[in-house]
Amino acid sequence: MIQFLTKRFIGLIFVILGVTFITFIMGYFAPGNPIRAMMGDHYNRVLEAQLRHAYGLDLPWYQQYYNFLMHLVRFDFGTSFKYANRPVWDILKDGVPISAELSLWALILQVVIGVPLGIFSALKANTWVDTLNMTVALVIYAIPVFILAVTAQLIIVWLDKATGGSWPVSQWGTPWAYSWDDLQYKIVPIIVYAAAGLAYFARLARTSMLEVLRQDYVRTARAKGLHERVVIYRHALRNAMIPLVTVIGLSIGFLVTGAFFIEYIFSIPGIAKITLDSINNLDYPVIQGTTVLLAVGVVFGNLISDLLYTVVDPRIKTE
Amino acid sequence: MAENLLEVNNLKTYFYSRNGVIKAVDDVSFTIKAGETLGVVGESGCGKSVTALSVIRLIATPPGKIVGGEIKFEGEDILEKSNDELSDIRGSKISMIFQDPMTSLNPVLTIGYQIAETVKRHRKDVSNDQAWKRAIEMLDLVRIPDAKRRAKSYPHEFSGGMRQRVMIAIALACNPQLLIADEPTTALDVTIQAQVLELMKGLSQEFGTAVMLITHDLGVVAGTCQFVNVMYAGHIVESAPVKQIFETPAHPYTVGLLQSIPRVDSLRGSRLNPIGGQPPDLLNPPKGCPYAPRCPKKQNRCLEERPELMSVDRGKQMAACFYPN
Amino acid sequence: MEMKENRSEIAAPNVILPDTNTIPITEDWQSEKVPLNDIGQTKEPKKSPTPFQDSLRRFSRDKRAMASLVVIVLFVLIAIVGPPIYQHIGSVYNSPLNGKIPSTTYHNFSHQELLRQDEGPSAQYWLGTDDLGRDLLARLMQGMLISLSVAIMVEIVDISLGIFVGVLAGYYGGWIDQLLARFTDIMFAFPGLLFVILLTGIFGTNVDTVLANVPIIGPNGNARLLLVSLALAITVWPLMARYVRGQTLQLKEQQFVEAARTSGTSDFRIITRHIIPNLFSIVVIASTLNIAGTIIGEAGISLLGLGVQPPGSSIGLMISDALTLLDTHPWEAILPSAVLAIIVVSFSFIGDGLRDAFDPRAKD
Repeated sequence: MIQFLTKRFIGLIFVILGVTFITFIMGYFAPGNPIRAMMGDHYNRVLEAQLRHAYGLDLPWYQQYYNFLMHLVRFDFGTSFKYANRPVWDILKDGVPISAELSLWALILQVVIGVPLGIFSALKANTWVDTLNMTVALVIYAIPVFILAVTAQLIIVWLDKATGGSWPVSQWGTPWAYSWDDLQYKIVPIIVYAAAGLAYFARLARTSMLEVLRQDYVRTARAKGLHERVVIYRHALRNAMIPLVTVIGLSIGFLVTGAFFIEYIFSIPGIAKITLDSINNLDYPVIQGTTVLLAVGVVFGNLISDLLYTVVDPRIKTE
Repeated sequence: MAENLLEVNNLKTYFYSRNGVIKAVDDVSFTIKAGETLGVVGESGCGKSVTALSVIRLIATPPGKIVGGEIKFEGEDILEKSNDELSDIRGSKISMIFQDPMTSLNPVLTIGYQIAETVKRHRKDVSNDQAWKRAIEMLDLVRIPDAKRRAKSYPHEFSGGMRQRVMIAIALACNPQLLIADEPTTALDVTIQAQVLELMKGLSQEFGTAVMLITHDLGVVAGTCQFVNVMYAGHIVESAPVKQIFETPAHPYTVGLLQSIPRVDSLRGSRLNPIGGQPPDLLNPPKGCPYAPRCPKKQNRCLEERPELMSVDRGKQMAACFYPN
Repeated sequence: MEMKENRSEIAAPNVILPDTNTIPITEDWQSEKVPLNDIGQTKEPKKSPTPFQDSLRRFSRDKRAMASLVVIVLFVLIAIVGPPIYQHIGSVYNSPLNGKIPSTTYHNFSHQELLRQDEGPSAQYWLGTDDLGRDLLARLMQGMLISLSVAIMVEIVDISLGIFVGVLAGYYGGWIDQLLARFTDIMFAFPGLLFVILLTGIFGTNVDTVLANVPIIGPNGNARLLLVSLALAITVWPLMARYVRGQTLQLKEQQFVEAARTSGTSDFRIITRHIIPNLFSIVVIASTLNIAGTIIGEAGISLLGLGVQPPGSSIGLMISDALTLLDTHPWEAILPSAVLAIIVVSFSFIGDGLRDAFDPRAKD
């Protein structure tokens, strides 16, 4: 077990190094002169040189990278270019709880609705219920998240008109609060956000369950005289769940991508939206900060889901 | 008749596929007495497994269906029973073990649990502790060493032979009257085969369990069974006590089977004697005797009329042939 | 029991006569026509189709997939031949702002007719106009062309790099394999479009100005297309390489490869003759699914404002332009969204159909 963990950890470090390096390099080669832009009308050469020195921008690239890493380890993402004096973390921290809330609820919905739906479909395989479920799931899964979001936004706009302008069309309300007002902001984005992942989980659960139901040990369970309910829930389901656990880690990746579109289309001030804005402002430290944050999150998510896998399947003990 | 533990009369099990109806078991009748071991032999596709699955009613119902006949177990027709009644019978009165021990056990549950689960299902008054104890007892009985510790292990930690023994333990945990074994040793090494068969024989004698042993291996039958049914293309073509099958086989197919076994004492350079031809297409079975196209002794009558199982005047031996040996 | 020597009239000449106990194996039993029942029907051996032909046949039976294939072909045709045809339909229009203009002008995707904004479908503008008076149908067709071009460019790189690196990694293992694995891990750590967003966000404007002078690309806002394609290609090829590597590993262990090797065939020939042709099914399936993802990716990037820039057109850009008009002119958003949805769902059905055709067991 220890061996497994250390091996994974080393791989993790490597990946994080790779990600940070790529992010850093992109910032390094980025066009434009942010110092100059920052100085605006107060431009003068001497000051520029001083500022460059202050930001460490006159050092050779490997040293800049090293500084970058050292700061990261201390959770210091540097200072924003655009809002001089505001640390990057300060800018990001407002968006974190919002994005976290959005993603968490989406993930919960995906698993809690998607998986039972898939299992149910598997038990009724090849009936009209099954075909309907799976076709709908395929369509929802195939349609890109921003199309779903636009459609949803259309519906909200219509709702807003129909209720005489009282349905909120953008923004988020208060993070982690659930009054009716807040819910109005949150329901639609969360549902749209969850939709694609939900469809994916449903299809996967169905395939997994069908595969398991075909197995010999299910036949053995029936031959033992166990009640059908027991056969399905105690024997089949436990095995069908195993591949689903690994996918949870994968879906974190989908969630991150989706966040960009959802926050953009619904104007929700989360991390992704902040990042998009900072791209427009060429505020590289913020961009780098978010990228590293998100990438590390994904990597850890995968690690956790791999660990869960070893817990759930007794055949996998160590690597 | 209370004398027969199992009485199968005119069983027909068909499979409905896109290309037509496959008559996997077509009018099969046999009996098993209490404590008796019946061997069912035949090549792949002859219907022996389907017969076994029909008795315990585990035929997948689309696409299969038991379309006719009756299966009387302890006097009552199984085909009339409800699903609940059937699940009461399975595992406690009729048990079954299958061919591939590598996939027949649930990988995420301990083997102790999988045995105890059967006990708890069928003996409502038994506590968890007692069920677990019984599981360990059974593991001892099937000679799994260090049973107490190994009961907490998972199937993937056992070899094929040991897994099959676990299957036997599960099957016999509630002391069934009838054990159906579908090719239990086919997937095992020859040496392990012998051990497992010995075990089955010993246990069935000790507990008085009747056994229906399905196999394609005549050698297996010779060592363990008292009575043998030979099946071909969904019919029983010969039925006899084991000695007579080997010493005086009646049906040409049985004769062919026995002759095709390579012998250590045959002359060098002599050729093997397989039965030529292919088994018939079950979608379109031939009229008349199903073996006739390949039979060295076929006559016109064989191609027209299908022979029923008939006595050949040698005690209990019966063959479905107009011109038996 | 006597054995009669009996010649049945119905038996064909090459059936062994019933006068012997043992039946030696002779060619007779493999003969072409063997009577199986007394009606005298003979059964001809069928030429069994190759697995590939089997898969094709299975695919053609999947109605959803075939219908989707038709839809996609239709879209491709419209994207390619639509604009030239459309631009020649319609008489000269007397524009109050631009004078007399022929249909080649007002049916062009970048032409703005500022007094004809936000119109619904009409005889002149078949699908209406957007908020800058541009012909929606023309912009839609241009957008489809862009999607198609990006998809093709990305897939070319994806397939070539993927096969090249994947086969080498699978066949030789060693450091190539390790490198591929590490690189894949890193690319996977960049969730979805993050890498593309970064690359296009940071280098986008630069690329536009630098490449605007290169012919063909021009100042149409299409320069970024190359950047987007490059970014998308970098994101997808590791996965293709992984699939190819996996398949190569499997193939490598098969006996026909072993046989080729023992007979002294060079590695190069083994790879080109035996392994690459067998990669066909997996590459086709992976590409089809990738194309859908690429089209979505390009649309998404353009929607975020990081892809095709105006006056160019992309489906994503059309949607983004229409977002502010959702409450007044929803049609302008619905049109491109619906078209994109149809394209993507069709590819999904095709991909599913291909997967089922090549591995029917995987279905249920």
